[in-house]
Amino acid sequence: MSNEITIKNVNMVYGEGGGHRELRNPARGTVALKDVNLDIKKGEFISLLGPSGCGKTTLLRIIANLQNQTSGNVEVAGGTPEQARKSRKYGIVFQSPVLQDWRTIRQNVELPLEISHYPKSKRHELSEAMLRLVGLEKFKDVYPNELSGGMQQRVGIARALIMQPEILLMDEPFSALDEFTRDKLQEDLLNIWSRSLCTVVFVTHNIAESVYLSDRVCVMSPRPGRLSAVIDIDLPRPRKLAMRDTVEFVEYVSKVRNSFEGI
Amino acid sequence: MKLKKILFSSTFITIVWIVLLCSIWELEALHIEQIKRTPEKVFPHLMQIFESIADPKIISNDQTSIELVLTNAYATLERAGIGFLIGALSGFILALLMKFSGIIEKIAFPYLMLIQMIPILGMAPIVFAITQDIGVSRIVISGVLTFYPVAANTLAGLKSVSAENENLFRSYSANVFQTYTKLYIPTSIPFLFTGLKISAPLAITASILVDTLQGGVGLGCLLSQSLKGGMSPFVFWQIIFLSAAIGILSLQVMVIAEKIIMSHKVRWNREKNKNLI
Ligand SMILES: Nc1ncnc2c1ncn2[C@@H]1O[C@H](COP(=O)(O)OP(=O)(O)O)[C@@H](O)[C@H]1O
Ligand SMILES: [Mg+2]
Repeated sequence: MSNEITIKNVNMVYGEGGGHRELRNPARGTVALKDVNLDIKKGEFISLLGPSGCGKTTLLRIIANLQNQTSGNVEVAGGTPEQARKSRKYGIVFQSPVLQDWRTIRQNVELPLEISHYPKSKRHELSEAMLRLVGLEKFKDVYPNELSGGMQQRVGIARALIMQPEILLMDEPFSALDEFTRDKLQEDLLNIWSRSLCTVVFVTHNIAESVYLSDRVCVMSPRPGRLSAVIDIDLPRPRKLAMRDTVEFVEYVSKVRNSFEGI
Repeated sequence: MKLKKILFSSTFITIVWIVLLCSIWELEALHIEQIKRTPEKVFPHLMQIFESIADPKIISNDQTSIELVLTNAYATLERAGIGFLIGALSGFILALLMKFSGIIEKIAFPYLMLIQMIPILGMAPIVFAITQDIGVSRIVISGVLTFYPVAANTLAGLKSVSAENENLFRSYSANVFQTYTKLYIPTSIPFLFTGLKISAPLAITASILVDTLQGGVGLGCLLSQSLKGGMSPFVFWQIIFLSAAIGILSLQVMVIAEKIIMSHKVRWNREKNKNLI
């Protein structure tokens, strides 16, 4: 299978010329990523797992072309990250839903289509389908602050997927949610992913979450931020929540936990 | 419990205020009545002022006192309104430019404060010298006073857009126009209204104040004439009450405009909306 994302010898140093002047550490730059190498295959569900400060967000933002690496090479969807962004190859979901208060749910989901000048009828058709996919078709005409946190995050996912991107980037999307909501959204995410066939890069600091969702877990360690292990999760799909109680699952969780270095 | 609710309801508090102020007024009027020979020239009763509104006596140019006051009020209000619109529009545009370019912000923002510091009465002769027209000067000064609160508040609103929102728009490769119309401007609207609510009464006060400097038509002109005497003393009081009413009304107009523009059931982020003036 071919690669969707290729990361070669990527380094990211903050505060050494790059970055904002006021955030710069005058003594020495922060090494947020050191020699990261990773190939992500088409259609793969991969997670970046690690404690906070190990460079997960930084790596995701480099893939998304929201910032540039200090050195190294990144290829996304057969081109540079910038080309991938400009041709709207990825959708992104952040930790907070980042919805626009003044737009209804449907209008929020249609935002990327508006920016890409889709005609209104096409927008409506796609947003109907997306809202059905995330189970929010009944709420299309309400405003974001009338929804719970979990529902808002679903809107964010629908918005990220509406352009039918090849890649879905997610930065701790469920970490602000309560455990019940998170469980439900994890299961739904797997369903949505199995239907859309996109490649997912999922950032999390929750070990069980990464094992449950992923084909591969990339374990990252801090100071300097680096990729310290990549663990294949050979659990059968489709995965149900009950799987988390099986012996194999628990073994994977402890295997991942034991692979952390220097924390 | 129920009593407490009534006691602290805003209508009840308003009524208490009105009653309190009226009583103080009347006590003072009674006091003046004891010590002055023509008390209505110094401090009339509220009732006398209200009666004077209905007084059909022609006092100047075929007009009764209230007709005279209203004609002049219209002139003042018109100038204040035009100045307010021009000031608000240019303040909003400057805020957009300052957000768009850091250089423009650095050049303009620190010096905008200065506008606020020049006293209006000092500014008026300068503006008059430049424009050579008192009517235009009055408009310009209303505009200048509107300008700063609108520019500063709108800029604060434009800057309140979160980094994640900016990242989102970058991820869509949205162009500058789309980013402004779909992100920055909608986010800044509640802040813009904070500015407008501060400016509207200010523009009117300024307009009246600058009226007093020269003759012509306007509430302020009439005010100086009535102070010099020769006119019914009640004209003065009618002007005072009408000015206060117009000021309050201008604020209410902004409040209603804000409600209409945000008519959908959106609870805008109020905490973010406490900002600089
Ligand atoms: N804009 C920035 N300027 C300076 N240092 C930064 C910046 N962003 C992140 N860092 C630093 O880089 C390291 C990795 O950050 P981040 O990628 O956000 O980690 P994570 O997402 O895993 O918590 C941290 O030490 C953080 O303080
Ligand atoms: Mg992070």
